[in-house]
Amino acid sequence: MKFPPIARPSDPTPLRPRLDARKDPGNRRVLRQRLISASYTVAGIALFFGVWWAAASQLPRSRLVTPLEAGYDIWTNFLYSPRLSVFGLGKVGYGSLLLYTVGNVLTGLVIGGAIGILIGIASARLRLLRVFVDPVVLVLGTVPVLVAAPLFLLWFGVVPFTQVLLVAFYSATMMVLFSQRAAENIDPVYERWAMTFGAGLDVRIRHILIPGTVPEIVGGLRITLASAWGLEVFAEILGAPSGMGQAIKALTNLNNVSGLLACVVIVAVTAIVTDILLLALARRVAAWA
Amino acid sequence: MASHKPILAVRDLGVSFVRADGTHVVALNSVSLEVFPGEFVCILGRSGHGKTTLLNVVAGLLGAQRGEVRVMEGPVTGPGIDRGVIFQQDAVFPWMRVEDNVAFGLRVRNVSKRERLRISREHLALVGLSSVARAWPRELSGGMRARVAIAAVFANDPPILLADEPFGALDYVTRRQLQAVLRDLWQRTGKTVLFVTHDVDEAMMLGTRVIVVKNGGIAEDRAIDLPMPRSDDDVATPEGLALKHLLLHHIGLE
Repeated sequence: MKFPPIARPSDPTPLRPRLDARKDPGNRRVLRQRLISASYTVAGIALFFGVWWAAASQLPRSRLVTPLEAGYDIWTNFLYSPRLSVFGLGKVGYGSLLLYTVGNVLTGLVIGGAIGILIGIASARLRLLRVFVDPVVLVLGTVPVLVAAPLFLLWFGVVPFTQVLLVAFYSATMMVLFSQRAAENIDPVYERWAMTFGAGLDVRIRHILIPGTVPEIVGGLRITLASAWGLEVFAEILGAPSGMGQAIKALTNLNNVSGLLACVVIVAVTAIVTDILLLALARRVAAWA
Repeated sequence: MASHKPILAVRDLGVSFVRADGTHVVALNSVSLEVFPGEFVCILGRSGHGKTTLLNVVAGLLGAQRGEVRVMEGPVTGPGIDRGVIFQQDAVFPWMRVEDNVAFGLRVRNVSKRERLRISREHLALVGLSSVARAWPRELSGGMRARVAIAAVFANDPPILLADEPFGALDYVTRRQLQAVLRDLWQRTGKTVLFVTHDVDEAMMLGTRVIVVKNGGIAEDRAIDLPMPRSDDDVATPEGLALKHLLLHHIGLE
């Protein structure tokens, strides 16, 4: 009996052709899932404001104001706030103070993140460096910000550098751990395969370790960024030439509840927006994941 | 096809491991063999008998305690571009597009971008993946990723190809298709192949020679004098069946 010949490798087309999104069932399903996710997000936000509103209606205005009043406070004080100038902050509004805070957070995150990622990835591959780095990171990571922030203020003074350094310090510490774990989680088969193509350590770092760790590192960066806002505002409250922390300090002295809530909303919204931007960037650079 | 000068020589190779409890496991014991240019050598054996260890030592990914491995008369001291490797595990880089995966070895060797692209596209066509050159590996099936791995290794043009049960995790039909792809590429390029498998039929379908590794040593070393390319009928001849029974006996099935 003669068996039929083995099928030759055809040129398979497994990829879904880019059809009209409305007609393609796969795309329709994705669209539906996104709509459901978006509706849950909107419901969550509505619940938050609903609870806030209900609480504000039960408490005196000296304790809690409604979201609408906080929103009005943002609207009237965003470009210029006379009450803040009383505290020596100059002719400022929430907008310019926010710019200072954003600038410090992003500068600190970029510097600390870069240092942390480099040390994390290198220490995951170089045993001697790991032996040195691990205890240092462990010790630095346990220093409470309540201790570190005043120390930095004493050492470097009331200058923007102090807050940037504090954010960079904690970002680096966190990113060492995230990057180390990301590098360890890469399947060793990739590096082994690269070695069989003649790839040395430098090529493996550039083409295997760095791209392969991107998704996990971005996840770590998002957590670090979320923490950085709190650190920056706290450091500014302790002592800074500008920033949302200084606004919060001034408004606390004035017992201005609507202003305080306005500041909290501004920082929270900024944190969410930067997180969304970081996520969008991650989806672009790690489209393969 | 084979010349008299071996392209690969393994002499008195000994490899052992230390278990967590401190006991020694001898993976390879005084293994010696010679492989000649153009041969398709199948290393057959049961799991845990040393065939992958042998391949890893030849690939330079594992050191030996005793003996030596020489490739083209030079000692093997580590991985090198003269030995391409296809692993059983999916090693295709998920963060590179298919054509970039195929061109990776060329990129490491600083081949110009235009030339890389040309060679990459050419090899993707050979394995039937032209239409997915710009796809991400996650968009491909397991069998297609195996083809990408084959194309990547052949694109780098190593004289020796080492394959460690590359089709072991694939379904029967895909495995047969990929065997045909590999055999065609081998016949087209004339490379020397060292192919680890635990599948007697696979060894008989692909190999010009079969070496049975048993308990860390070589139990059998036979040429397979059957026409190439082979059909199922070709291996069902009296000579083919006799060899099959012998191989099954060595791996403990008969």
